[in-house]
Amino acid sequence: MKILVTGAGGFLGVHVVERLLAHGHSDIRCFLRDKSKAARLETLATASPGCNLEICYGNLKSKGDCARAVADAEIVIHLAAGLKGAPAELFVDSVVTARNLLEALGARTEPVIAKTRVVLVSSFGVYGVVPLGRGARVDESTPLEEFPERRDPYSHSKLRQEQLVREYQQKLGFELVVLRPGVIYGPGGGAFSNRVGIQVGPVFVHMGGSNLLPLSYVVNCAEAIVVAATHPDAARQAFNVHDDEMPTASEYLRAYKKHVKKLRSVRLPYFATRFLAGRLEGYHRRSQGQLPAIITRYKAAAAWSGNTFSNAKLRGLGWRPLVSTQDGMMRTFEYLRAQSVGK
Amino acid sequence: MGLKVAIVGCGKIADAHVEEARKIPGVEVAAVCDQEPIMAEQLAVRYAIPRWYTDCAVMLAAESPNVLHITTPPQSHLALTRQAVAAGCHVFMEKPVALVHADVEALIAAVVEAKKKLTVNYWPNFEVQALELHRLYEDGVLGSAVHIESYTGYDLAGEFGLALRRDPDHWVHRLPGKLFQNMMDHVLNKIVPFLDDDDPYIHAIAYKRDGGGAESGTNEILDELRVIIKGKQTSAYATFCANARPVGQTLRVYGTKNTAHLDFNARTLVLERKQSFPSALGRLRPPFQVARDYLRQGMRNVGRFRRHQFHFFDGMRTLLSEFYECIEKDTDPPIAYSEILRVSALMERIFAQVYPEVGA
Repeated sequence: MKILVTGAGGFLGVHVVERLLAHGHSDIRCFLRDKSKAARLETLATASPGCNLEICYGNLKSKGDCARAVADAEIVIHLAAGLKGAPAELFVDSVVTARNLLEALGARTEPVIAKTRVVLVSSFGVYGVVPLGRGARVDESTPLEEFPERRDPYSHSKLRQEQLVREYQQKLGFELVVLRPGVIYGPGGGAFSNRVGIQVGPVFVHMGGSNLLPLSYVVNCAEAIVVAATHPDAARQAFNVHDDEMPTASEYLRAYKKHVKKLRSVRLPYFATRFLAGRLEGYHRRSQGQLPAIITRYKAAAAWSGNTFSNAKLRGLGWRPLVSTQDGMMRTFEYLRAQSVGK
Repeated sequence: MGLKVAIVGCGKIADAHVEEARKIPGVEVAAVCDQEPIMAEQLAVRYAIPRWYTDCAVMLAAESPNVLHITTPPQSHLALTRQAVAAGCHVFMEKPVALVHADVEALIAAVVEAKKKLTVNYWPNFEVQALELHRLYEDGVLGSAVHIESYTGYDLAGEFGLALRRDPDHWVHRLPGKLFQNMMDHVLNKIVPFLDDDDPYIHAIAYKRDGGGAESGTNEILDELRVIIKGKQTSAYATFCANARPVGQTLRVYGTKNTAHLDFNARTLVLERKQSFPSALGRLRPPFQVARDYLRQGMRNVGRFRRHQFHFFDGMRTLLSEFYECIEKDTDPPIAYSEILRVSALMERIFAQVYPEVGA
């Protein structure tokens, strides 16, 4: 069974390929854009002589490359997406590329589309948590965001991507599995999610406070993707992906300061965040965008409403974290400390 | 002012067009269009624009806009301009204007023949300080221009740079002048108003300096360009630089009386004056003069910030206001067509030296 992994050279992609190999899958096509990110995949290929680990370069903006990518694949694990850049760029990298990939899938004659499984790695950002109110539990039954344009462009583009994939599922009839990771972290990733706070000049403004951080250590996230991609009961389902133990944003920041480096931070309680967000929104409107509305009351409510999260559905498939949150954080901080010293 | 605007091309720069056009009273952005429906939809949704289209002809027929903003890659500019003027629209064009100089000529001819108006988004030239520099020049404060230095930096790891760096098929790589063609309008359009020769001597050299972090397929982008230009009485250096930090954008005009230094990023314009004091006294005074100039400029900028006139694309808003006004009053466009043509002709000659194989 050939498995395609798009974005295979990325932070999460390499771990997904590793977990596929660990689960005994031996026919994997690693699709990536950037040749400079192939080193770890090449090492994996060398270390797995009995496996057909195909490294395939291309760009999902190209329909021809998409056709090459999906040829013979029975499982398509679609990780490739835009993470940063201008909003238009995020839509190209996440939505247009997903559409191209699915068009290529639809144009294929073999394997039969109904027997093909598409695994979409979406995001927690697609949930419409604002109307739920403070402290609400977010699980897979939580409605999707109704006003994505009020959220950050990344969440907006990921929601549109998921909607588009669902539209194509209806049209083409493939088996769809959606995974919605929380905050993916680990060596090679960034230090802070916006859920902890944001850097403003020399000061880190810490708005996360006692909010739970839905952390997903990159290896655990990759394991979840592989379990869901291959489990028969996962078809037509969506799964939240986060680890069992979730620190609060404050706990995470404290641990970062202790294990990585000192950081000048200011704690902003939720009421103050909402107040300042309101002022910033007002100024943004009055000044016609002279300063960007990086935080609005809506964005604040979406990120710091004291939500709780559930991964019970994912655990129901048999997924278990391979690395504890304690270990995951230590490994991440070790990497970040080394990076910090290197600078 | 009551103008209906439509935009074709929903990539990154279209955001700025929507935002700046909407700041002008009486202007309505009625519709947007992109061949890629996802892109047209996302722009319309993010800015609550009532309608979006995937076919420009359909949009022009349905919306009958007064002005079409063309923000597509330059490969399509000539055809879209002809379509726009045939539909009765004036055209606000994103740079670069076209692939080759002949297309720029054809494009302007089409606009003139249709009795419509066109301008190109040379927005830095409409920043307050740039307009002030031209006033100083016209008032004779600088004397006549001896030499011009126009410098534009670029960040290949920035929002725009990353997009073309990650994508070997990006439209910028298919331009005859590649990365330079996407940026040299902004370097040369600052020189051309001072240049006294339509056919100056040009010597251009380009090379690749960037050594690390390049992404697949784009490793060979030439990222540094130096151009020496010599007119009848005025010379110029044009520099495009992707590796120096901070990423600057400056213009220096050396006049027979005084020299002006314009920093587009810091939004300052200072004069370096001929000194009347003798000897050591003449060397003591200039830092205080320049410091006073910078302080004044800084205070003016604070004032502009307080009055909400300190946006990144303020120059674009000024240019758009002048362009829309020239449509309403049927006056000349804010940028003379001859200036657009001279910029385009210079660019073509530079690219012929830098990429001779493309010209061949």
